[in-house]
Amino acid sequence: MPAIEVSHLRKSYHGTTAVADVSFDVADGEIFGIVGSNGAGKTTTVECISGLRTPDGGRVRVLGLDPQHDREALRRVLGVQLQESQMPARIKVREALELYASFYPDPADVDTLLEQWGLADKAKARFGKLSGGQKQRLAIALAMVGNPRVVVLDELTTGLDPHARRTAWELVEKVREAGVTVLLVTHFMAEAERLCDRLAVIDRGRVAALDTPAALAGLGPASAQRIRFRPSQPVDVAELAALPEVSAVEQRGAQLAVSGDADVIGAVTAYLARRQIIAAELRVEQTSLDDAFIALTSHSTKGDVG
Amino acid sequence: MTAQTLDARPRPRLLPEFRMTGKAFRTLVRTQAKLLCREPAVVLSGVALPLALIVVFGLIPSFSKPAASLGGKTTLDVYVPTFAMLSSVLTALTALPVTFADLRERGVLRRLAVSPVPAAGLLAAQVTVIATAAASTALLVALIGTLGCGAALPVNIGLMLASYLLGTTALLSLGLLIAARAASAGVATGFGVPAMIVNFFFAGVYVPLQQLPHLLRTVSGFVPYGAIVDTWSGSGAAWQHLLVLAGYTVAGSLAAARFFKWE
Repeated sequence: MPAIEVSHLRKSYHGTTAVADVSFDVADGEIFGIVGSNGAGKTTTVECISGLRTPDGGRVRVLGLDPQHDREALRRVLGVQLQESQMPARIKVREALELYASFYPDPADVDTLLEQWGLADKAKARFGKLSGGQKQRLAIALAMVGNPRVVVLDELTTGLDPHARRTAWELVEKVREAGVTVLLVTHFMAEAERLCDRLAVIDRGRVAALDTPAALAGLGPASAQRIRFRPSQPVDVAELAALPEVSAVEQRGAQLAVSGDADVIGAVTAYLARRQIIAAELRVEQTSLDDAFIALTSHSTKGDVG
Repeated sequence: MTAQTLDARPRPRLLPEFRMTGKAFRTLVRTQAKLLCREPAVVLSGVALPLALIVVFGLIPSFSKPAASLGGKTTLDVYVPTFAMLSSVLTALTALPVTFADLRERGVLRRLAVSPVPAAGLLAAQVTVIATAAASTALLVALIGTLGCGAALPVNIGLMLASYLLGTTALLSLGLLIAARAASAGVATGFGVPAMIVNFFFAGVYVPLQQLPHLLRTVSGFVPYGAIVDTWSGSGAAWQHLLVLAGYTVAGSLAAARFFKWE
């Protein structure tokens, strides 16, 4: 049985479609990513899975439970870290953990959690005095306090500095090591690439693609090879662009960026060699998950949502 | 959409769910009590203000002399019950709704909604904390007023206690109803403060009830604070008032739990 099953999920708010048709399965023990632009329907999907929203149509199951009908059973096995959800400003870290621990039949040990999530020295600090990274760590610790079998992490690293973000990634890997299935919502491709076993790209309320990060990166446009360099002498841009392997040339100050198919590097270096031009600061960019994501979702900028 | 698509709407429940362990409830009460003590505005208006008022009134010599206009009672005699009730009115109609609206505004309730805590449990824990604070304050006010400053004891202590308890639960239920729905602390204040002023008015805090037209005096019996004060006066229709207060309590708290909004 998959840990999470979503099929043909649909949800609108006042005539605006947030989720049009989303389906995916998350296997037990997997880190599954949901990526998409802002407003693509990621959070609504997660809210339907967590039982916070009632879907207009479709089917959602978490460990075989219906989030609407089996609310109580679901809440005991599902840990959730929500975007923009806070604690009372005056509650202390330990009090928050002890409070949430008391809600669950078999909670984790509060001291162990404090230690594990690097909050032991902040146990007596009030929530309002914590830094962004500390609040985020508390949010994950609270999601884990009930010893859940599935956790949902929504925009875990948004607003964190790069250092805190890396620490958060290690924490997510720790969660998985504990045997917990993770549903990770993010709009950082690097995060999805680093952490997720598989991911769904959501665009305008639909699944645009669903695969492993490596396979999705291969979905980028075939001509996404790109080289950048600073030529030692001026180059005739029109002539360079006329090469059959080249699809586009962009001049940025002293730098040239040349895009083309798989043979573009050979063609450009041969062209430069013929004119005895040296390419300084040469960099070759491979297609990445970022490119694939842009290619899969670029039409949404034209905007006809709703 | 395919034919196998199911509509996943839950059937509406008549009664709210209230299933939580004793341990969870106790921890919730303890935590909410600590948080309330860390709110200076609540402590000052709900506890310190009524105590300060009864002490000040007790120290004014002329307030301890029987007045013919009060039917032989002293000013202090009249104000002991009013001040005893003050904490209930203030905390039920301002502190309670504002606390909940603030939690809702900050997304604290949204986070609680995905934990196994039922809305009714959350409301009940907060009411327990507020009611305990209000009742302790009322008891202190009554002790200071009667034993400390020599105000007369009420003729019918049983009726007095019953109307105090039902009056407090009625006011709390009104506060809960606002707490269940208000989207922000501002909205909660916008509903709570006028409700409080209406209660004060019909309890004769601004204008003595005896000077109100007959119609308004009748209405007063259907406003919680008015019904309470009229029961205390000893001249009112006590049982009718107690029924009104019980009605507010039951209807208000059930509606609050039923229509509770997490966000």
